[in-house]
Amino acid sequence: MTCSFCGREIPDQPGRAEPCGSCLGGCRKVHCPWCGYANPLLPDYLKRLQQPHKKKE
Amino acid sequence: MSKPVSLSAGVPKIVLVGNPNVGKSVLFNALTGAYTTVSNYPGTSVEVAHGFCDLAGLRYEVLDTPGMYSLLPITEEERVARQILLHGEVHVVVHVIDARNLERMLPMTLQLAEAGLPLLVVVNIMDEAERCGMTIDLPLLQSRLGVPVVGAATARKRGLAEIRAALAAFDPSRRPVFAYASDLEHDILRVAAQLEGNYRLDRRALALLLLQRDEEIQGLVAATEGAHHAKLQQTVNQVIFERRVDLHLRISLERKRICQGLLAEVVTQRTGGRPSFAERLSSWSMNPWTGVPLLLLVLYFGLYKFVGEFGAGTVVGFLEGTLFLEHLNPWFIAVADRFITWSWLHELLVGEYGILTLAVRYAVALVLPIVGTFFIAFSILEDSGYFPRLAMLVDRLFKAIGLNGRAVIPMVLGFGCDTMATMVTRTLETVRERVIATILLALAIPCSAQLGVILALLSATPGALLVWTSFLLLIFLVIGLLAARLMPGERPMFYMEIPPLRLPQPGNVLVKTLTRMQWYFFEIFPLFIVASILLWAGKLTGGLNILVGWVQPVMLSLGLPVEAAAAFIFGFFRRDFGAAGLYDLQTSGLLSPVQLTVAAVTLTLFVPCVAQFMMMKKERGWMVSLLIFVFVTAIAFASGWGLNRLLLATGWLA
Repeated sequence: MTCSFCGREIPDQPGRAEPCGSCLGGCRKVHCPWCGYANPLLPDYLKRLQQPHKKKE
Repeated sequence: MSKPVSLSAGVPKIVLVGNPNVGKSVLFNALTGAYTTVSNYPGTSVEVAHGFCDLAGLRYEVLDTPGMYSLLPITEEERVARQILLHGEVHVVVHVIDARNLERMLPMTLQLAEAGLPLLVVVNIMDEAERCGMTIDLPLLQSRLGVPVVGAATARKRGLAEIRAALAAFDPSRRPVFAYASDLEHDILRVAAQLEGNYRLDRRALALLLLQRDEEIQGLVAATEGAHHAKLQQTVNQVIFERRVDLHLRISLERKRICQGLLAEVVTQRTGGRPSFAERLSSWSMNPWTGVPLLLLVLYFGLYKFVGEFGAGTVVGFLEGTLFLEHLNPWFIAVADRFITWSWLHELLVGEYGILTLAVRYAVALVLPIVGTFFIAFSILEDSGYFPRLAMLVDRLFKAIGLNGRAVIPMVLGFGCDTMATMVTRTLETVRERVIATILLALAIPCSAQLGVILALLSATPGALLVWTSFLLLIFLVIGLLAARLMPGERPMFYMEIPPLRLPQPGNVLVKTLTRMQWYFFEIFPLFIVASILLWAGKLTGGLNILVGWVQPVMLSLGLPVEAAAAFIFGFFRRDFGAAGLYDLQTSGLLSPVQLTVAAVTLTLFVPCVAQFMMMKKERGWMVSLLIFVFVTAIAFASGWGLNRLLLATGWLA
């Protein structure tokens, strides 16, 4: 997952895909470790829409 | 500290490092073939791939490290990658960089070189760079860097033979040195000269990491230096204190300056050196003379036309006016009249504050289309890479109010939801900045639904939107300036690498918008129902009338009709619920242009909603959050009162 603000790659780690629980109302965000931007955590069914644009190394 | 797993002791090691997505793994597979092992780095969940390759009759172990952006680690992946460099016997470190983005990649090359690591640079993805019209003078870059540089396009198997040859002929004795500005060099030397132990990394690099408060390096140095460490730490602390305002900024800018020098005449564009349209647009968006008009264009088309006129006007007009008020609500009421005999249940479901007639209508027909259009505009800007440029643009203005460009992140997120933005203030460097940003978020940043409703209501009254915008901007700046003057504390500098400007991908925009809308709807829907039930219970028990009675004098002093009290009480549950209440008041024809403007300004400035207040309490503690609550309430009503007097006295909007 790439941070929408600073453009850096947010590493996939077990637990990082879970909400941190800090937001009231059950927010679904992944905070970039470099800039702190709150990126939306995409549900699996929506990730499929993004597949054609995913870059492969 | 844990040590890296090695498959074979005594075999020289080749370590691949670099940013994510630069082709490290492709190179690793090309070097090692099919026989590789992937294992977790000891004590972590980070995977490191190992394999072997034979070069000129010698066997080497190859390690593919996790992506890293800097030798100063932030994530666990970066920490693991650095551990491997710190503790392993490395024959050669291969830094894989993206040819399209040399300026962003070279600062890490610089750090690896100044760390004294045996370095070979692979400029990868050359094919894409050439397709973009770039020509890279690799021999010139090699002579300036002082380490071997090989061009490649590993995904197309280009340059693999050259990389193998460079690895086989690698001379680890070449250690280039790059000089920083003399004052910085002086400080680095002060620290480096006191390092007496044996380290794998060069003393200059260790000194820089110590000055940047790298905890792992601090631990390593403390363990190595023993009794001498206290004196060393004193020097480090002294330099950090002397340079407390700009140390990180100076180091970053110095590295950038060195990299620009290294890259001068190395990269040329085919189009006669003229920057591309994206590059020109990028620099326009950060220059105040062109950036402010561009920002105004973005606000006009993105917020006013798209969210205000289309979302809150056309879409809400259809969903709220046609679908709910003409069809669904009469049907709900007719069904309730027919089947529900208990008046309390009838009132709960389809009454004045009914779950179906108020909560569902507000959530589905009013708020959702507005936040939906807002999130589309937001995702387009986000995906284009505009926000970091906005941060650079407003950096100077934000410095005047005690913040810097970094505060653009919570401010921009605040237009989506102030609660989440309040949490993000924790990414700001100092307590002073966090408190100022929290005040400004609670006071002058409307959330998306509130903004959309207000844009839609005010745009129908000539001049009202201009008064509302000017007044809020004035309050934002005055309170920010006062807070910056009254609150003591340091003013950290701001620097960030700007990612490339890009054309937004429709798939990304759609997915991000849907994700945000889903999250928002799931959050607001239950809260709107709870608010509706509380209002129903208040009406039934008479508690609401008492509350309205308390608020009525305030409404009268603001020049508002007493019916406006309900919208303000709604607003305390949620900002968007209050804005929806204002929408109902206006569509009922209860507000004159002056009253509408005063109500919109006061409601925007009015106290943070319950969720935002709880987040403030969590982030800043009871004392500060209560003070902010009282301060914001006082400012909101004082401003509303003053604006009402001003508008009545001048006859504006009359």
